[in-house]
Amino acid sequence: MTINPDTGAGRTVRVVIVDDHTIFRSGLKADLDARMHVVGEAGTVEEAIAVIAGTRPEVVLLDVHLPGGLGGGGREVIAGSAALLGTTSFLALSVSDAAEDVVSVIRAGARGYVTKTISGKEISDAVIRVADGDAVFSPRLAGFVLDAFGTAPADIADDELDRLSARELEVMRLIARGYSYKEVAKELFISIKTVETHVSAVLRKLQLSSRHELTKWAAERRLL
Amino acid sequence: MTTAVQRPTLVRSSDRMIAGVCSGLADHLGWPVKFVRLGMILACFAGGAGVAFYAWLWTMVPTADESAKRNARRPASPIAPAVSLPPVPAAGVGGAWVSKAYDAGPAPAVPGGPSGGVAPAAAGPAGGGSSAQAGASSGYGAASVDDWWGGSALASWFSFRRIQYGKEILLGAALLLVAAILIARQFGVDVPLGTLIPAAAILGGAAIAWMQLDETRRAGLLDKTKADQAGGWVRLAAGLALVVAGVLVMVSGSGSWEQTWLALLASVAVLGGVALVLLPWGLKFWKDLETERAGRVRETERAEIAAHLHDSVLQTLALIQRRAGSEQDVIRLARAQERELRAWLFSDAAKESGLLADRIKSVAAEVEDSHGHAVEVVTVGDTDMTDRHEALVQAAREAMLNAARHGGGTVSVYLESTAGSTEIFIKDRGPGFDLDAVPEDRLGVKESIIGRMKRHGGTATITSSSDGTEVRLGLPSVNADAGEQRNNEARNGEAKQ
Repeated sequence: MTINPDTGAGRTVRVVIVDDHTIFRSGLKADLDARMHVVGEAGTVEEAIAVIAGTRPEVVLLDVHLPGGLGGGGREVIAGSAALLGTTSFLALSVSDAAEDVVSVIRAGARGYVTKTISGKEISDAVIRVADGDAVFSPRLAGFVLDAFGTAPADIADDELDRLSARELEVMRLIARGYSYKEVAKELFISIKTVETHVSAVLRKLQLSSRHELTKWAAERRLL
Repeated sequence: MTTAVQRPTLVRSSDRMIAGVCSGLADHLGWPVKFVRLGMILACFAGGAGVAFYAWLWTMVPTADESAKRNARRPASPIAPAVSLPPVPAAGVGGAWVSKAYDAGPAPAVPGGPSGGVAPAAAGPAGGGSSAQAGASSGYGAASVDDWWGGSALASWFSFRRIQYGKEILLGAALLLVAAILIARQFGVDVPLGTLIPAAAILGGAAIAWMQLDETRRAGLLDKTKADQAGGWVRLAAGLALVVAGVLVMVSGSGSWEQTWLALLASVAVLGGVALVLLPWGLKFWKDLETERAGRVRETERAEIAAHLHDSVLQTLALIQRRAGSEQDVIRLARAQERELRAWLFSDAAKESGLLADRIKSVAAEVEDSHGHAVEVVTVGDTDMTDRHEALVQAAREAMLNAARHGGGTVSVYLESTAGSTEIFIKDRGPGFDLDAVPEDRLGVKESIIGRMKRHGGTATITSSSDGTEVRLGLPSVNADAGEQRNNEARNGEAKQ
């Protein structure tokens, strides 16, 4: 998790766009505002791994469904760039709302997930947030998390990876209800930074937990 | 005889002297068990026929327990109906045949008639050399042949009952014939066995093979289990072996066994060679067939997808081009099409509808269509629909309509359903409104949302600010007191914030 305190202070975020549709890539490029600079594009798994290794961007906007490779799509790109995970963050893009697509790419190491229908302003904000080392949760991803971890808060005896704390549950619920981080912070009387910390903690649990219910949930949706 | 319509299944009874054969047979035939036992003992002195009969029934007839077990998990095998069909009550003709067969003489093969489903199994080890076994196998073959073409010739005769009876009756008849021939030989009549046995073998073998072919066609080549296919192959091979052996014996005339064996060996070798040569071709042919079939399935799928895309996506794209001037229309069309396509691509056919989440999603889609604003639905958990949940859905619909009408932009809907309660949150990013400033005559919020929820034992809270409006609907489960309590606490906690 690299934190760049100077983001937004004149510095630009170096971005690589990975998507197999040229039209979508050019549209997305036009949507990103002045705070970021697109240093590379790729349309297949192999291209993506090569471009990411060559340009070493801070953020990769990664389509979940990609041709090439072994058929693993975005997940495979993240696995192929594992050595760079310390400096490069991945933000998953998808037209699919299917849980198996979203959760599998998050568990592979992506820092967040947004749908392709997202507006230009929102995607720019999301890229900055990911570049700052934070996680980006859409309402739908928050819904998946609540579904997978259950909506009952953790007991003290529980393994901390296996359940969400009461506060994390509150944050997830508000995000699922369509609240922005700012609105969540206002609603819970905490700072945005604290919201970001909670969200990052949830992301870590989603990536690392081997909780029985989560495994079962994933297996039911053919994620494993 | 003819009055015994409901005849019990032939099973070995638990009331036994040795293996329960006689009492089982007595139950089956409806005779006093004493007579059956006496008859069996008498038959033992007739050249040991009784012993053979008893031993055969002992091995072939299941005990009552085994029979019950077998009936419980009866396979629906199209290949061997005679073996797998339930022992239907034998009546009239069948019963008469049995009694005649029994009276006719204590030949070892006689019980083939009544034991029905057992006889075909006896055909397996046939071909050893003893005349009794050869008789059994040929008898089975003859019966099968009759059954095979009997479909037309004997149709009128057996039209009022299942065709399997014909098979069993004819089997019995063939065995009777064998017994008669044997008895005739005993009395010194010269029967040309050297010609009859090979002829019977050929007939039987051909019958087995042909019957297999016919049944295969009847069942349809496509939907057969592997086990059935294996059984079919075994029968085909058995039929082939019988025919080859029969032909050889016939051709070599009354030749010695050594000669016959040599010829048999040679012909098997020839057949093996031919099979070896033809096998690759056969396999290739089979593979081509499979490829073609798979291709056809793919083609059908592709056509179906093309038809769907034409009906939906292409039509929508045409509409979008014609309405390109109106941003609102374009967005609405695109959203509606996206939703439709998504439902078609990702919907789970096995998942049954009628659950709350599906209802909320369809209501959201309806609102989206009528107002052109995206309604994003996130659901966690699900529950069955009840009248109270229908009220919840209607209240949520009203809230969504308000949000789309006054809020503008995307409407977020979140449904959380747990054992204790169901909650729905509807949020928009409009300019907000003051609930107290809403005129009394506007029924939307006060009546359709708050009033409706209260009437059904639920709650409705509306918070509105300049950042947007959120409607929270809560409905505790009827039979979950603990959950309700916990839920109330949670709600109180929320209210404090």
